[in-house]
Amino acid sequence: MTPASDTQISHLGRLWLYVLGVLVMLFLVLPSFIVVPMSFSDSAYLEFPPRVWSLRWYESFVGSVEWRDATVVSLKAAVSTMVLATALGTAAAYGLHVSRFRLTAAIQALLGMPLIVPVILIAIGVFYVYARLGLNNTIAGLILAHSTLAIPFVVVTVAAGLKTYDMNQEMVARSLGATRLRAFLSITLPQIRFSVVVAALFAFITSLDEVIVALFISGGENATLTRRMFNALRDQIDPTIAAISTCLIGVSILALVLIQAFGRQRTPRA
Amino acid sequence: MTTIAELPGRALAADDNAAELAADEKRERQGLFVLCSPALVLVFLVVILPVGWLFWLSLYDAHDAFTWGNYTRMVHSGAYIKTFRTTFEISVVVTGVCVLLGYPLAYLLSQLSQRLAALGMICVILPFWTSLLVRTYAWLVLLQRKGLINEALLGLGVIDHPLRLVYNFTGTVIGMVHILLPFLVMPLYASMKTIDRDLVRAAANLGASPVQGFWRVFFPLSLPGLFAGVVLVFVLCLGFYVTPALLGGGKVQMWAMRIETSVNLYANWGAASALGVVLLVVTLAILYGLHRLFGLHRVLGPS
Amino acid sequence: MTRRSVPITTAAVLAGAFAAGALVGPAFAAGSITVASWGGAFQAAERKAFFQPAAKALGIVIKEDTTNGIADVRAQVKADAVKWDVTEQGSNTCAQLQSEGLVEPLDYGVITNTKGIEPTLVSSHWVGIIYYSTIIGWSTETYGQNGPQSWADFWDTKKFPGSRASYAKPYYNLEAALIADGVPFDKVYPTLETPEGQDRAFAKIAEIKPSVAVWWRSGAQSAQLIKDGEVDALAIWNGRISSAIKDGAKAAFTFNQGVFDFDCLVVPKGAPHKALAMKAINQFLAPGNQALLPRYISYGPVNLDAFETGLITPEQAAQVNSSPQNAKVQFVLNPNFWVGRYDKLQERFDELIQE
Repeated sequence: MTPASDTQISHLGRLWLYVLGVLVMLFLVLPSFIVVPMSFSDSAYLEFPPRVWSLRWYESFVGSVEWRDATVVSLKAAVSTMVLATALGTAAAYGLHVSRFRLTAAIQALLGMPLIVPVILIAIGVFYVYARLGLNNTIAGLILAHSTLAIPFVVVTVAAGLKTYDMNQEMVARSLGATRLRAFLSITLPQIRFSVVVAALFAFITSLDEVIVALFISGGENATLTRRMFNALRDQIDPTIAAISTCLIGVSILALVLIQAFGRQRTPRA
Repeated sequence: MTTIAELPGRALAADDNAAELAADEKRERQGLFVLCSPALVLVFLVVILPVGWLFWLSLYDAHDAFTWGNYTRMVHSGAYIKTFRTTFEISVVVTGVCVLLGYPLAYLLSQLSQRLAALGMICVILPFWTSLLVRTYAWLVLLQRKGLINEALLGLGVIDHPLRLVYNFTGTVIGMVHILLPFLVMPLYASMKTIDRDLVRAAANLGASPVQGFWRVFFPLSLPGLFAGVVLVFVLCLGFYVTPALLGGGKVQMWAMRIETSVNLYANWGAASALGVVLLVVTLAILYGLHRLFGLHRVLGPS
Repeated sequence: MTRRSVPITTAAVLAGAFAAGALVGPAFAAGSITVASWGGAFQAAERKAFFQPAAKALGIVIKEDTTNGIADVRAQVKADAVKWDVTEQGSNTCAQLQSEGLVEPLDYGVITNTKGIEPTLVSSHWVGIIYYSTIIGWSTETYGQNGPQSWADFWDTKKFPGSRASYAKPYYNLEAALIADGVPFDKVYPTLETPEGQDRAFAKIAEIKPSVAVWWRSGAQSAQLIKDGEVDALAIWNGRISSAIKDGAKAAFTFNQGVFDFDCLVVPKGAPHKALAMKAINQFLAPGNQALLPRYISYGPVNLDAFETGLITPEQAAQVNSSPQNAKVQFVLNPNFWVGRYDKLQERFDELIQE
């Protein structure tokens, strides 16, 4: 019997593992796929399976000024967050990796704060501070808050990429006369590109999907998609939300394809 | 002929140079620390400062008088005590279920070929990137009395009456496990991929049965990744809001929900702030405790 | 251009701008206000019945926003960043805001359409806008047309076995509990004002608690519950269940012993367009506009003169909770009872319903 792994166990011997694994994977993806048929239902309430099929919720989404505006706001915020968080986070990860500063561990802990501090606490704190500064219901305020939330993800991802990268290459470039910045941009960055792209996508999705902080600090003309969805769920559970989510799932799949495309150029690990 | 050593000007003494180079290097390294500062400034302005402000606010009541009342209310009020208990119960149960489901999945993925593993990881990442609100609502539709799961079970004759799968503790756990499972699987998988297969092969060569080889070699090596995942999931559970609010039926009140209702309930922010501060302190205490027990600095952070 | 032609050109440009400005002048000089309400289908109905007619009559632009409750108003006023000129709030919230000094006094020199409104709904700092009721609804698949007809029936799980759903706040619940326990309408609040009365109400709620499958937090949630057939009987706002039935839900309801309540309008302290806000409120209360509401949602106009305008059809009147035949079987909620007592009672209620 061909062993399934290095521990010499057979495929049959761990059939239960395969079954369990498949079940868990189904468990993970099923709800996302339920949403797609729900969005084509004709009923004004969430219904599965749909009895009558129609595109009315997509029409409702595209035809409504509020939903369109909210989508624009969310996309603007997500793209800006992606740029800001990736830039700041990559710089921080690089700085930490290279400086071997005494307080590195403390800095890491500080940069991890947005992940550890409960989001609801950040949300009401930021709401209160923004109320004083007049930053509530502005896109700028939203971008600052979301970028901060995304920074831990970016730092961890880029740092992991830097760990497997040989810094000597940069040394060589500098010994040949390049400035540190130039060496970073032309030598290091292309090689840790995979990590940076993944980090950027993380930042993008973190901002796009963020509910709680947006609930407090976005509003009026600058309400995000998630805030409108949350309020819509509160006021009128309508399947426009399912239509929007189907579109968002499409965006996620696109992002995953992008990662795979970038990933293929990456040197495979031994 | 003059040798280099005899040239006028600064002597090229080896130690001087080395010392200066070292000092240069140290200055440069410390200067690089500046690269971290924009990120730190942002974290300070958006997280540290507001939370500090909230801490200060929690010490004042509706009439702006200094008071410990916001904290003492928590100790005396039965509603709060129940909330704390529920939050911990759910966090422990959800983390436990995530480990039971996530460890086998991560193990399986780590043993598969590159292509199959990538496919499997898509199953893990895709839900992660589908909107939280939508996934929670999808579970509502699946688990309700006349939902898909009950209809299927009734149709198969497994049960007589519909099961109460949602608007209660069960539904909340199911929903939260679904949201948090990827957070456990991803660091665990990453950690498992770095385990040197030769070690396991060596154990097999030395006569260990597959089960022994797993438990005595592989499992201990996977523990750092497991702890990273467990800590992450547990901490996220403590502060969870959306899923228990939608799937708990009003009967499952978690800490973050109570903070939100306090914002609406009391005329001042003191009550909500106090709750938030306590949640933060408890979270940090748990993290510190785990750090002392298992040395978290090895599993969290870049190095 | 020569030096002499420049001033002429400039003058021409300025004159043109002035003329253009004069043409579009009225629009700019018209003014605008921001009104915040509860959102969703409810706000859509108010938009058609109140906001659009008022905007047309006054020649202004009415921008809209949504509110989550009292915290929004408090946050805006306390941070000195008031965005809303008028906001709709629940009855007790208006009273609470008045007692906290967070709202402007209403200008009844401008708001003259108060003749047909119940005097208790016209207060110095707030005025009622619509009536809504919390009524008993049930699934016709479980009980057919013979569902619970009173709160005592609602509590009677032998006669009406099955699951229940109720609002996750003590409003309506405490009153309904006492009514179910046999307290006559006029003795409900005197009883609730005593500690023994409150204990009695909470004990009654503890009785029904095992059957309550869901404590709902939003109108949409309650509508989804009855639409999905998730519960057999529930306390629900009448507009929500009427809409659900129109959309195909297998449900029915009764107005009997419904808890009659109202929403009201306030002007947050420091609102940017106070004077216009008063005029707009006057428009919202006009009988002609009030009579339009039942067309879009079954909540009742507070201005009972609306029933005299002839704009409300008999079918609409049958569905509307404030029409005479429906109002007389209901119990009127007193918001002043809740001012100052709400947070303690909510805490006790929370402790009770948590598991």
